[in-house]
Amino acid sequence: MAQEQGHVPLPRADAIRSRLVDTFSLIEHLQGLSQAVPRHTLREILDPSRQKKLMSGDQNQLVRFSIKPRHMGHITHSQRMLSRLQVRCSRRPPLSLWAGWVLENPIFSKFIIFLIFLNTIVLMVEIELMESTNTKLWPLKLTLEVADWFILLSFILEIILMWMFSFSLFWNNAWNVFDFVVTMSSLLPEFVVLMGVSGNSVWLQLLRISRVLRSLKLFARFRQIKVIILALARALKSMTFLLMLLLIFFYIFAVTGVYFFEDYSRSTIENLEYNMFFSDLLNSLVTVFILFTLDHWYALLQDVWKVPEASRVFSSIYVILWLLLGSIIFRNIIVAMMVTNFQNIRNELSEEMTHLEVQYKADIFKRQIIQRRQNLSPEAVRATSHRKASKDVLKPKEPELSDSEKSDAETSDAETNDAETSDTEKSDVETGDAEKSDTQRSDSEESDTEEGEAKGSDAEQDEDGEGQKKSSKSKVYSSSSSTASSSSYSTFLVDFDYDGKMDWETLVHENLPGLMHMDQDDRVVWPRDSLFRYFELLEKLQYNLEERKNLQEFAVQALMSFEDK
Amino acid sequence: MSQYFHHNPPVRVASSSLFGTASEALYARFKKIKRKDVECQAFFRKVLKNPLFQLLMISTITSNAFFMVLGTDYNIRYKLFRLFEISEILFVSIYACEFFMKVYVEPIKYWRDGYNLLDVVIILIILIRYSLRKIKGRHYRYLHIADGIQSLRILKLISYSRGIRTLITAVGQTVYTVASVLTLLFVLMFIFAILGFCLFGTPEKGDLDNWGNLASAFFTLFSLATVDGWTNLQEQLDKRKFTVSRAFTIIFILLASFIFLNMFVGVMIMHTEDSIKKFQRELMAERHVTLMEEKQMILRNQQEAVNRLMNTQSGGGKNFTELVEEFKKTLRHTDPMVLDDFGSSLPFIDVYFSTLDNQDIVVQKLQELYYEIVNVLCLMLEDLPKKMSSHSSEFMN
Repeated sequence: MAQEQGHVPLPRADAIRSRLVDTFSLIEHLQGLSQAVPRHTLREILDPSRQKKLMSGDQNQLVRFSIKPRHMGHITHSQRMLSRLQVRCSRRPPLSLWAGWVLENPIFSKFIIFLIFLNTIVLMVEIELMESTNTKLWPLKLTLEVADWFILLSFILEIILMWMFSFSLFWNNAWNVFDFVVTMSSLLPEFVVLMGVSGNSVWLQLLRISRVLRSLKLFARFRQIKVIILALARALKSMTFLLMLLLIFFYIFAVTGVYFFEDYSRSTIENLEYNMFFSDLLNSLVTVFILFTLDHWYALLQDVWKVPEASRVFSSIYVILWLLLGSIIFRNIIVAMMVTNFQNIRNELSEEMTHLEVQYKADIFKRQIIQRRQNLSPEAVRATSHRKASKDVLKPKEPELSDSEKSDAETSDAETNDAETSDTEKSDVETGDAEKSDTQRSDSEESDTEEGEAKGSDAEQDEDGEGQKKSSKSKVYSSSSSTASSSSYSTFLVDFDYDGKMDWETLVHENLPGLMHMDQDDRVVWPRDSLFRYFELLEKLQYNLEERKNLQEFAVQALMSFEDK
Repeated sequence: MSQYFHHNPPVRVASSSLFGTASEALYARFKKIKRKDVECQAFFRKVLKNPLFQLLMISTITSNAFFMVLGTDYNIRYKLFRLFEISEILFVSIYACEFFMKVYVEPIKYWRDGYNLLDVVIILIILIRYSLRKIKGRHYRYLHIADGIQSLRILKLISYSRGIRTLITAVGQTVYTVASVLTLLFVLMFIFAILGFCLFGTPEKGDLDNWGNLASAFFTLFSLATVDGWTNLQEQLDKRKFTVSRAFTIIFILLASFIFLNMFVGVMIMHTEDSIKKFQRELMAERHVTLMEEKQMILRNQQEAVNRLMNTQSGGGKNFTELVEEFKKTLRHTDPMVLDDFGSSLPFIDVYFSTLDNQDIVVQKLQELYYEIVNVLCLMLEDLPKKMSSHSSEFMN
């Protein structure tokens, strides 16, 4: 490892080295701690031929699993249960699996939704027919009762199914708890009525109310409603402190109100409308709330003024202060917090969308890079053989030519290609310099029409190109027409062609973060020694680059202080 | 006095007045005073920070509030009179103790914190009630006002709850805008009050109840602004056959209620958004910083381990490079290693090498440019000596 020559410490090289050390657990190896080398992946073991080979090699081999965490996504409870040993070894599938299958079946869930709607309709019809004593309607009433009982029993059955599926998980989900509470609370009055409590008691009213509550189960079924309710709950949660502060102020003004308006409450003048409004604490609390909603506050105040003992100053101060503080300031603070919360929720939802978009762009960028590299390697070989300095523009007119096609750039004018004719990455870059005489270009290969699947990326880059039309880098990518001196770098004297109007740097800068944060579902399998060599070489490369930079600087300085001696 | 200035370099304010210099010197002298009772002070500081003490304070304030609630009912107050008296004495003594402890621990810095000032105000309110009762006797008219204000004691709870404190600091930044909007509203109401008084408050024909003097005019206008019962007021004006009253009322309601009071909402929304965004940005920055620090720590530990390995010579004098070479020999080509980090993925390699190639080309072209420059300069130099020699020859001749 090339560090002992007294190099300047480069942070990049250090990072690469630490990556190497980390990946190979070098420290533990060198300290003699761990000898295990991962030899096979899980895929190889699952492959039957490989497995046979392994088994035939040594039948008593021990397998050690080293788990690299993969992003599997959400693992459902049923998947987890499927991998349990007792489930796999039993003859019949356990009841919980069947219950889970039933619950997730779309037919079943649609059936439940249908039952909820039916419940509502039955309830509506029942209320209409409740008071009528028409005996002809008695069969109808009977059917309604039966339907009601049927609905109740199926709800109970659903809850039992959920319990069979997973008892503890049932209680974790708030919607299930809500379902349970509603169903149980509608169960109780039914039984009581069944026992024959007399007709018009409060139990019947309770019964009807609980039946109505059953329709609330609808909220859990539809995703949109769930989203709205969750958003509301989150908004309220973030406002807890605000509500606490509001409660404190309510308390302050309620207690103060009782004391301030003592004379008013105790006065014996007749025709005072709001006499009892401040009489004790509960009334005072209600009055404070009434004032908070700005209802009849002036009438209340004028009523208070009718009593001569009550001081006008303090009562008006009290009312005006509470109106300003509570009704005007606090209410608007609540509105502001709700608005920002909803904006946050909306931003989070849109973040998901932008994440997907970023992924898509990163994909396209990857494809571009791969194609570009594929172009460069045949090009670099051929660049030494043919080289001509041409000044013409050879634009790629055929849109089917996807990859390896290079065209020549313009000479002096800053002219760019039309975005429509640009293929995946081949159009001309603008040069900002008019001084450059000749531009040496590589040959424009009109390679055979290789069909590339870059049509999709065409549209993308067209948009990019249009957007980037104005932002052009003024880098000079034209070389002078020195034929002789550049032979040493002949392999690399290839003119890169750029897509749209962007040059390489902006392209990389824009797409690199997206590439880095992509969800990596494709991982690279490296051979072990190659990986080690790769890291080593990368580190050495950093040092070499640094050296080259220093050499360049020396050369430039020498050139600049070149004197005619 | 001048030596104190030398001792305190952070004091940079150069005030020109005598009072300024005197107060600076006083301040410097105060800072120089070392307290002799450091241990006692440290003990009290520990007591104040103790969570048990905070729990005690919170429970005191809550029970005080509860007793106040009970005390609003006359019957309960009559029956449990002694309990109320004793609890009152207890609460006031606890508040006073807390105040004295805090002042003792930090005599100067105590007065800078807002919540401490709130404590002082509440103690003053208690004192007002007590002194009013003593001085003016038991049948003073405004005694019950002093009783009512005691409910403000619950505001002491705010200093013990972090959530409400952050909320208040966030909301408190909007207080300037709120104050300015309120002032604008007041000015508007003032204008319309004078107008209304002149129009509708004349003694002969006017509506004296509502517009007779400035105070009632203000109240009427406030009632219009909060659109509560304004139709009754409008009726009164209509009864007296003022023709312009409708226009007046409608214009004022539009201005005050629709525009001003909703401007409040807009202003609050803007400020709340700003403060929440700032808060979130600070949070992200903090998290980022801690993450970076952790990464640096891990890297540093790794470096140290590697360096240690390199420096120690263990087992037969093998140094680090030889160990690494041995390790390399154990690597087999057929062993797969699955990596999913970015640094060893194919797109990265492609991008990196393309960028390197780009860099090479640019360097190459730069070099050629330099050659050209030198070429041109050389050509210029060739031309120049001819002229110089001709000049010098002329000169010599």
